[in-house]
Amino acid sequence: MKENNTRREFIKKMSAASLAASATSIPLASFLSSCSKGPSSLPSTADTVILLWMAGGMAHTETFDPKAYVPYEKGVESKRVLSTFPKIPTVVDGLHFSKGLESIAGVMDKGAIIRSYKSADLGHILHTRHQYHWHTCYEPPQSVQAPHIGAWIAKELGPVNPVIPPFIAMGQRFTVGEAEELKAFHSAGFLGTEFGPFLIPDPAGGLDSVRPPKGMSLKRFEARYKLYKELANKSSFMQEGSDYQKESLMRSMEQSYRLLNSPEAKVFDLSEEPKEVYDTYNTGRFGLGCLLAKRLAQNGGRFISVSTEYEPFLGWDTHENGHTRAKKMKELIDRPIAQLVKDLDESGHLDRTLIILASEFSRDAILEGRPGEKVKDQVDQPDIIEDEKFYGMHRHFTDGSSILLWGGGIEKGLVYGKTADERPCSSIENPVVIDQVHQSIYHALGIHPETEYTIEGRPFYTTPDGHGKPILDLFGKPIA
Amino acid sequence: MESFDWILQFLGRLHPLMVHFPIGLLVVALFMELLTLNGKRKGLREGIRWMVIIGAVSAILSTLFGWFLKSQDDYSGDLVDKHQYIGIATAVFSIAASILLQRTLQGKIKDFRLYRGVLMTTVILLTITGHLGANLTHGEDFLTGVLPGSDEGYDDSKGVALLAELKQVDSLDTAQQDRLNLEVRAIFAHNCYQCHSQNKQKGGLVLDSKEGVFAGGESGLSVVAGKPEESELFRRITLSPNHDEVMPKKGKVLKSSEIKLVEMWIKNGAHWSDQTLKVFPEAELALNMPSLPTSVQSHPIDKLVDSYFEEKGTEWPQEVNDHLFVRRAYLDIVGLLPSTQQIEKFVNDSDSNKREALIDSLLNDKHNYTQHWISFWNDLLRNDYSGTGFITGGRKQITDWLYNSLLTNKGYDQMVSELVNPSEASEGFIKGIEWRGVVNASQRTEMQAAQNIGQSLMGVNVKCASCHNSFVSNLTLEQSYGFASIFADSVLELNRCDKPLGRMAEVNFLYPELGEVEGESLEERLLNLAKVMVQPDNGRLYRTITNRIWQRLMGRGIIEPLDEMDNEPWNGDLLDWLAADFIESSYDLKHLIKRIMTSKTYQLRAAKYDRVEDLKADYVFTGPIVRRLSAEQFSDAVSQIVFPVYHTVEYDPSHAELKAQRVWHREVKFDRDVLPEPGKRYFRKTFSLSGGTISEATALLSVDHSYVIYVNSEKIASGNDWKRVGKYDVTQFLKPGKNVIAIEGENEGTIANPAGVLFSMKIKFETENEIQIDSDTTWKSSADIPKGEWTSIHFDDTSWNQVRNYGTANWGKLVNFNFNDENGEFARASLVKQHPFMKALGRPSRENVATTRDDNATLLQALELTNGEFFNGVLEEGAERWLKAYDKDSQKIVDNLYQQSFGRNPSEEESALLMGILGENASKEGLQDVFWSTLVLPEFQFIN
Repeated sequence: MKENNTRREFIKKMSAASLAASATSIPLASFLSSCSKGPSSLPSTADTVILLWMAGGMAHTETFDPKAYVPYEKGVESKRVLSTFPKIPTVVDGLHFSKGLESIAGVMDKGAIIRSYKSADLGHILHTRHQYHWHTCYEPPQSVQAPHIGAWIAKELGPVNPVIPPFIAMGQRFTVGEAEELKAFHSAGFLGTEFGPFLIPDPAGGLDSVRPPKGMSLKRFEARYKLYKELANKSSFMQEGSDYQKESLMRSMEQSYRLLNSPEAKVFDLSEEPKEVYDTYNTGRFGLGCLLAKRLAQNGGRFISVSTEYEPFLGWDTHENGHTRAKKMKELIDRPIAQLVKDLDESGHLDRTLIILASEFSRDAILEGRPGEKVKDQVDQPDIIEDEKFYGMHRHFTDGSSILLWGGGIEKGLVYGKTADERPCSSIENPVVIDQVHQSIYHALGIHPETEYTIEGRPFYTTPDGHGKPILDLFGKPIA
Repeated sequence: MESFDWILQFLGRLHPLMVHFPIGLLVVALFMELLTLNGKRKGLREGIRWMVIIGAVSAILSTLFGWFLKSQDDYSGDLVDKHQYIGIATAVFSIAASILLQRTLQGKIKDFRLYRGVLMTTVILLTITGHLGANLTHGEDFLTGVLPGSDEGYDDSKGVALLAELKQVDSLDTAQQDRLNLEVRAIFAHNCYQCHSQNKQKGGLVLDSKEGVFAGGESGLSVVAGKPEESELFRRITLSPNHDEVMPKKGKVLKSSEIKLVEMWIKNGAHWSDQTLKVFPEAELALNMPSLPTSVQSHPIDKLVDSYFEEKGTEWPQEVNDHLFVRRAYLDIVGLLPSTQQIEKFVNDSDSNKREALIDSLLNDKHNYTQHWISFWNDLLRNDYSGTGFITGGRKQITDWLYNSLLTNKGYDQMVSELVNPSEASEGFIKGIEWRGVVNASQRTEMQAAQNIGQSLMGVNVKCASCHNSFVSNLTLEQSYGFASIFADSVLELNRCDKPLGRMAEVNFLYPELGEVEGESLEERLLNLAKVMVQPDNGRLYRTITNRIWQRLMGRGIIEPLDEMDNEPWNGDLLDWLAADFIESSYDLKHLIKRIMTSKTYQLRAAKYDRVEDLKADYVFTGPIVRRLSAEQFSDAVSQIVFPVYHTVEYDPSHAELKAQRVWHREVKFDRDVLPEPGKRYFRKTFSLSGGTISEATALLSVDHSYVIYVNSEKIASGNDWKRVGKYDVTQFLKPGKNVIAIEGENEGTIANPAGVLFSMKIKFETENEIQIDSDTTWKSSADIPKGEWTSIHFDDTSWNQVRNYGTANWGKLVNFNFNDENGEFARASLVKQHPFMKALGRPSRENVATTRDDNATLLQALELTNGEFFNGVLEEGAERWLKAYDKDSQKIVDNLYQQSFGRNPSEEESALLMGILGENASKEGLQDVFWSTLVLPEFQFIN
């Protein structure tokens, strides 16, 4: 009873505090001016977004858009290889996936698939450049720092539950190759660090980020804060009078104390899950990330990303042994993703939670980049495959890939767009670009398509020049 | 049919008349209804009844007429629809209200509550409908337009004056024609460019060029010289505000003086002046050379501020005491806290000139000065030790050049010269950041150079104009491409919004009046640019840096934002005098810093501003403001007081080379080298010693995460913190012939993460000969628990693999990994690679120029301080160190902590609070908490 009461009071105070904070959050010399379009007036179909990020370039022909299966045999020609797995049916009539994705195939009646995503044409491929583009909608480099889509959402909508940070990014470490490029887009950019990602590289340790420091009892934590408060009040510096800077500092310390002292932190504790559930999800760090994403979505998360983690030449970034590695990656993602969809559906949260699965681009056995735009090859692929390690999708393909969506107003069972069945397996129907993907997410959340801030005197929109349009078909509203 | 239409149209036009009946009647009805609450004033009832009934009827009629008006007079749009729907709802509710009232009066409904609720709703809807209707007629910003703060700030008084002047004369001379034309173009710029410019050509009409204006648009010729009545442009701007074709837009028309000016201009032949239009205010390039006012003040800055204060009616505020001054001076010049002894010495000094003497001595502390100010320059010049671009060789540091420039106090003209016309050491600045692949035309490296020179050095925004003509300054696309072409191998083709225009740029600096920069070659152009830029005539260059230094020392610039040097200064004479003085001093940055810091103005107590807005538009200077310690200052201060926050640097000014490599067991996944998994690994290095008797042998060791080290089977030591360099005397364990170093290392954590052994051993022989054994790839390792005496020289390690060098990227250079006797050094934060802790505290990632830091406290920042493992780890280690140093004497600890942190003793109250936590015998946990509570205090985190 008492706890409940404190919590309510706390949330009341928190929102008052964050209101006050937002009123003064513009730093002295910031160029950020106010937003010209209010977000709250638009209808929405989702409150929460979960991004399942297939980092490293997931081949669509090996996963959600299978083509003719060519089994491995010594001497097979590379150009014959379109898919290295047989097709399997899904619960949606006529929709087929690739073998190894049986669980996800079983939940496609609750979601939709876009089969015609086209990545930007950025020339000589660098994964992190395309990832930057996917997550910010701007091609790097930019003359100001572009915010991550999660930061835009955090800025526009704030947290659902005031004690759960509105932008949480899981699964990616920043000690890997291309770490600096990864950091460049895991950022709120010019919106300010306040809206930046709350990073949880290892979901199993997520709880540590929202509790008092390791080894500190709650009692000690409270006593420590009390001491600080009393010292602050006693100090002559504070008695000289207040100004906006002192107040902003004191307020931020109070917010952090309240967050860390809140019972809500339990949401981050995976050990609260029954063992069977934990085991179902636990295919590795990605699987546990899905489990934590489920808990967060059920308790008021706003934007949550779970990444299979990008590390050059690992994960989906298959420069060789493509077939065996794709098989392993499917084992990593299949069960937890399907379970996430099912669990959120059962608890009733799927209706207002938009789940998206995507990758920066696809792969192909032959083509690097896209047809007609020859870019530098990064892998030696023999014409005739004599060694199984050359069997698979080893080159970067930017002309067609798949995006999966569930919940949050998404039309169930929809198949949108199409790629060619013969090489090049490019998008040939309703091609989709990143601006549309972002605008569809904003559409679901009720964020105005022309949301912008003025930075260094010029307007900076969520999607370049504010031109992007949502794909209304995804929401069961055919485009007029 | 036709005769019927006019009736509808006529009735429709009665809508604006009719709407006043329901508005008047229903609002008054509600008001009177409120008077009858609690059964009072029963006599009003009958009147109210009729008002509601007539109100409802007139509401229905209004709605009906409104509908006629819409269908006959061609209104459309969102606003009309909203007005219509809510209007219909109002009518429906008003009917409901009158029926409910009737039934209530008949006794069929028990009380008035339902009716009153409905009536209330009706009036609310009515208000909204009325407001929307007014917006339709008068424009959407009719109401809000007069609210304070929504004024667009465009001043038309100049136009009004010009109109009055020109009306007096019969025929205009050329100068007057020019002025008239420029004024008209300014009117276009403020009202029309938004849709009709080369950037956005609505209706095919372009008004920001002569050709465009006279070519007209899709509706024909816009201007017919001499004939306003035939000019489409004039027709459009003189239509009624409700007309569909009115310009600038429905509901918004030009001011009458503006319309008259346009008319006068067309009538007089629509003359087009050759002068370029300066739509936006632009600061003079040259400095005005203000003379110092006579004043009782002796310092030049104080003289100027004195007359400013006099003008504003401000009394000189008090100056800070010695305690505050010494803290300020140290933090501002060397970025460090003064030690207790340094404070005492300064406070007790009776020399009347001691403040200036302190400033001088701190400015002479070259390395510390450099290690503080380098952060400012790194931000400004977008220089960092890590970041995007390095991985593909598309970026270059200028750290070494910058460090030495500051160390030798190179003249600013020289620095600028070397930045724009660089040597290999300084070329990183104009080289920009190049990502692999194809980039947007506005982000090619030549354009980045133009943008960064513009922003950092000249305080002008070139970014907008690198994509299209700027919306925020007078810069055009031609100008920025002309500027960028200086840095290109060949002249660039113009691109608007990434689309080539088929026109080539003309090489030029942004301010051609300063001189010609064109040359035969890139080298020549850069040389010319350097000369043109650094000449004293380019006052803007020196004004910009002066303003930046002022802002650093005083908390707010004389012009804000710092990168928009065309804005109005709060004291132009002060800024220009300082800039001129800076030039006079041979561009001496230390002189500028000293000039500011020796003034009484700098030494004033911090002024209080309650709201951040007070520092913006209508700012009035009343003194310096409190400033938050930067990420680097905070980290260094904690390092000084508690325990080193950082142990490794990315840039080592001493350039001492380290031969040892950080090695670990080679780990492979899918035939790729990967990060090591957690777990124990075993390392061996065998070597032979000949050369006689060993006089001394010292080993240095750092292992991430932990180790046990053996020399020839003897256990020497163990450790679990790679940042603490183990320093061991191993003389007695070595012997002539074969020797072996064996290390059991462990990588902790739950997932793969960086790990490494760094080892160096210096062996001195009595012959004075010296050899060194370092960790490198000749070492061997195993992941399996070895069978047998693996630490012994007799162990067979032929089956072990060679280790892999894991590089330095994850660790940097350990400042204590050397054989010197000194210990306890810490790494200056400015030389440390970007780190999550500093990032949280506001150190920018230098992907773009960052000329100011966010000094606002954020939640993520507070979280990092409150539960961040990193910061709490530092406090824990510090607590151990202090307990030893002060023998757990709590009172001593508390006194020392306050003296070192704040330069003062704790008050009795403070002391009591702290002692309450610590007790007589301080515990580690207690002390850790005392550290935390002290270091996060505002008094510590601010420069007062």
